[in-house]
Amino acid sequence: MISNKTNQTQRNYLVRQFMAWIRPTSGINSTRLFAWVLIAPAAAYMCLIVAWPLLETVRLSFTNAGIGSEEYVGWANYEKLLNSRKFPATVGRTFYWMFLSVGLKLILGLIGASLLAANLKGKAAFRVLVMPPWIVPIAIGCIGWLWLYNGHFGIISGVLQQLGIIDGPFEFLAYKRSAFYSAIVTDVWIGTPMITIFLLAAMQNVPRDLYEAAYVDGASRWYRFRRITMPQIMPTFVSMALLSAIWTFNSFEIIWILTEGGPRGATTTLIVDTYKTAIANYKYGQGAARAVLIVAILTVFMVLYLWLVKKVNRKFGDNK
Amino acid sequence: MATVALQNINKCFNETQVLDNINLDIKDKEFIVFVGPSGCGKTTLLRIIAGLEEASEGAIIIDNQDVSNSHPIDRGISMVFQSYALYPHLSVFENIAFPLRVAKLPEPELRQRVQEAASVLQLENRLDHKPGELSGGQRQRVAIGRSIVRNPKVFLFDEPLSNLDAALRGDMRVELAKLHHRLNATMIYVTHDQVEAMTMADRIVVLNDGKVEQYGSPMELYHHPKTLFVANFIGQPNMNFLTCQPLHHIEDSLTIDVSGYGHLTLPVHTTGANLGSSIELGIRPEDIQLTDHGEGFTMHIDVIEQLGGSTIAHGQVNDKDFCAVLPGDANIKPGGEIKLAINASKCHIFDADGKAMRRLQSGH
Repeated sequence: MISNKTNQTQRNYLVRQFMAWIRPTSGINSTRLFAWVLIAPAAAYMCLIVAWPLLETVRLSFTNAGIGSEEYVGWANYEKLLNSRKFPATVGRTFYWMFLSVGLKLILGLIGASLLAANLKGKAAFRVLVMPPWIVPIAIGCIGWLWLYNGHFGIISGVLQQLGIIDGPFEFLAYKRSAFYSAIVTDVWIGTPMITIFLLAAMQNVPRDLYEAAYVDGASRWYRFRRITMPQIMPTFVSMALLSAIWTFNSFEIIWILTEGGPRGATTTLIVDTYKTAIANYKYGQGAARAVLIVAILTVFMVLYLWLVKKVNRKFGDNK
Repeated sequence: MATVALQNINKCFNETQVLDNINLDIKDKEFIVFVGPSGCGKTTLLRIIAGLEEASEGAIIIDNQDVSNSHPIDRGISMVFQSYALYPHLSVFENIAFPLRVAKLPEPELRQRVQEAASVLQLENRLDHKPGELSGGQRQRVAIGRSIVRNPKVFLFDEPLSNLDAALRGDMRVELAKLHHRLNATMIYVTHDQVEAMTMADRIVVLNDGKVEQYGSPMELYHHPKTLFVANFIGQPNMNFLTCQPLHHIEDSLTIDVSGYGHLTLPVHTTGANLGSSIELGIRPEDIQLTDHGEGFTMHIDVIEQLGGSTIAHGQVNDKDFCAVLPGDANIKPGGEIKLAINASKCHIFDADGKAMRRLQSGH
């Protein structure tokens, strides 16, 4: 009898201890511990798919890894890369690609969003029509553009011939300059809808009263756009500009499907160069060095992004 | 000098008529309040005067000029919005300066005018702040600042106090009244709050279902409501109504039978009234006295509200909701019964069409 009672007391004590141990709100430390426990699976997953490959890439960049061999070579890959004649041109081309494409996407996105936000007839239909370039898989869209750019069967060459602007069939992707700008056009076509939709959403969040107040005060349409719409959508605009810059910087499929970086390297951006070196030429070590440099450049971008977002929010936000 | 005249204003949204033949003459320097329940068309009417909506028919005359098709800036009006409509990314200074920047005023004059407006509204210390850092009352003042800086002929206010708490609303009412005296301008003010209308207006326009129910001074509306609607809408607490039967009438008196009270003879003009079989007797809660003898209504008390100076009793008379404002020291309790006396000369009577029969003695 006594033994039974002791057992029960002991069992109750253990249950209480266990409950206290698993209860997450019994103090700051255990709250924090509980938070860590909740985050752990996601953190482990991120480590596995982001951190580990990144570290492995950094390690590879210090080797001459190729098929079957792998030796430590110190900074040799970086030295070779920075001393090569082609590399600065590739970096320059990448930035030109990025600024031109992002600039066009932003301008067209802003115009598109303004038109879609305006009280025009049939705007619902236009809102739907804006979406396809974004919704269609990039590869499918690019194959469509491949046909459009084709000299013999493509509609662009055909129309230009009909109009008498060009004499004969013109292969847009066969010449250095036209291939580069053709790739830009395709990239802009694919990237603009998303910017349009995000800017449109930002514009629709601007209270109507603000425009009415400005209208009553005599502000013209342009003045209202400049002093109300732009400041109000600026946080979204800056976010879209920088995210789009990062995506465009890393844009691979469009160039690869259209030109594979050619002709004669005219559309080879950093990411295409990295792929060609590492995967097409099996120079994993040198490819890894390029990838690490891309990470470094994008890290600078990220820092710039966070700084700019903070600054814009302070300038255009509700508080000082 | 800015008179405003609205002539035969009609407004339809698709098939729905929201304003029906509105005619109003607003005198120079008058403080006019449009009051009515939600959806009565008062804000639409204000927006038509502002030029934010177009009237389907009719003309708006400001200062003897037809401005029906003019841009708001050419009408000489400025407007304060319900939501204040302050630009969140601009400082208080820039918010107030906005209309002047649109007008491309030279910088020194602009600064001077913003400073003047800020000083009138006690905002000098807040000029560098953004609207998000201000209290509701301060935001309201910035919105007013933006409207006065342009020296408009007519100020339009669209429910400007509805976002403020009760105490602040009381303060702002007084401030707006002071502002009206200081600026000496014509003001048109929209509200659904009849207390605001009564306390601020020179004249009140009561709107119902897109029509003007009555247009007059606050006291005229209070003492001589022309319709059942106005009687019910104006006055706090609401007027009590009891259904009664007309017995007989002559030109300036009407005798009615009120259930639970008996016969009552009212000094009213009966000419042209549609007496029908039942009419409504209206009694303001503040026109009722407690009595312990003689004839009177018996009221069952449900709830009492003690305000110190007065006690408001809510309950039933003849199974209809009834309210009485009694002295603060009245010895009454919820669940009890009291006897109430009324003064026939202070009663209102509405015919079968809901139209008031004008009282002979008005008090005012």
